[in-house]
Amino acid sequence: MTPQGNNYKHTSAIIDDRTIRVERVFDAPRDLVWRAYSEPELVAQWWGRGNRVDIEKFEFHRGGHWRFVEHHEGGSDGFEGRFREIEPKTLISQTFEWDGMPGHPIIDTVEFSDANGGGATKISATSHFFNQEERDGMAAAGAEAGMAQSYAALDSLLERMK
Amino acid sequence: MTTHPTTKILNRMVQYQTQAPIHETFAALADPTRIAFLERLERADATITQLAERAGISLPGARKHVRVLEGVGLVRTRKQGRARVCTLGPRRLEREAAWLEGYRRTLEERFDHLGKLLDRLKEES
Repeated sequence: MTPQGNNYKHTSAIIDDRTIRVERVFDAPRDLVWRAYSEPELVAQWWGRGNRVDIEKFEFHRGGHWRFVEHHEGGSDGFEGRFREIEPKTLISQTFEWDGMPGHPIIDTVEFSDANGGGATKISATSHFFNQEERDGMAAAGAEAGMAQSYAALDSLLERMK
Repeated sequence: MTTHPTTKILNRMVQYQTQAPIHETFAALADPTRIAFLERLERADATITQLAERAGISLPGARKHVRVLEGVGLVRTRKQGRARVCTLGPRRLEREAAWLEGYRRTLEERFDHLGKLLDRLKEES
């Protein structure tokens, strides 16, 4: 045990305009840290940072939906998203959206690795904000095909209405 | 209970929507060409043609990027003869920086509480 208990070392850095990474080494084995992230009743005990959190949905698998409601003095707020990727004891990647700003997801990725010969665990949490390229990419890929289809449908409709 | 709930930070995003919403600024910045334009304009004003030449892209392409930057107030343009001159706009990125800092703090606070939980779990086992 170190003097500061669990949080004996932490570093954090803003990588660029839209990415934040926070890293910390916890004095606990990886199995235990993984449980704190994957068991909803444990997640509820730390995610709210002291505020009560209701875990309304926690489908802990790729594509699964999660939804938390955080309660605070001023009321409550809902957050939700989907799990994009889960590698047991290694990685969790998920989207994060606030109810107050739907359609603008943040992509959160948490990576777990052994530290200090396996007695401790390093967690690296990366948040990527408003990944416009990704959304634009999807929009552009779908839009052309979609547009061509709409034009074809419009053509045939106009043909029939003549 | 905590001093920096995510909500407060996010609310600030909405409050500021009288100006370009913060997520639009982030979107405008989500492009290396536009970042390069801003860096160029920090040094001196430039015409769209100059920006296009320097970036090695077409004039219409450069115009499109400038329009995005202009839309969120990061760039201003004015006609000068036949050219359009770009200059840095009235918007600065303090809000964006403050927002990122707030979010970082939220992540750190979560880690603090995770650490406490892990201590408890270790004692129990």
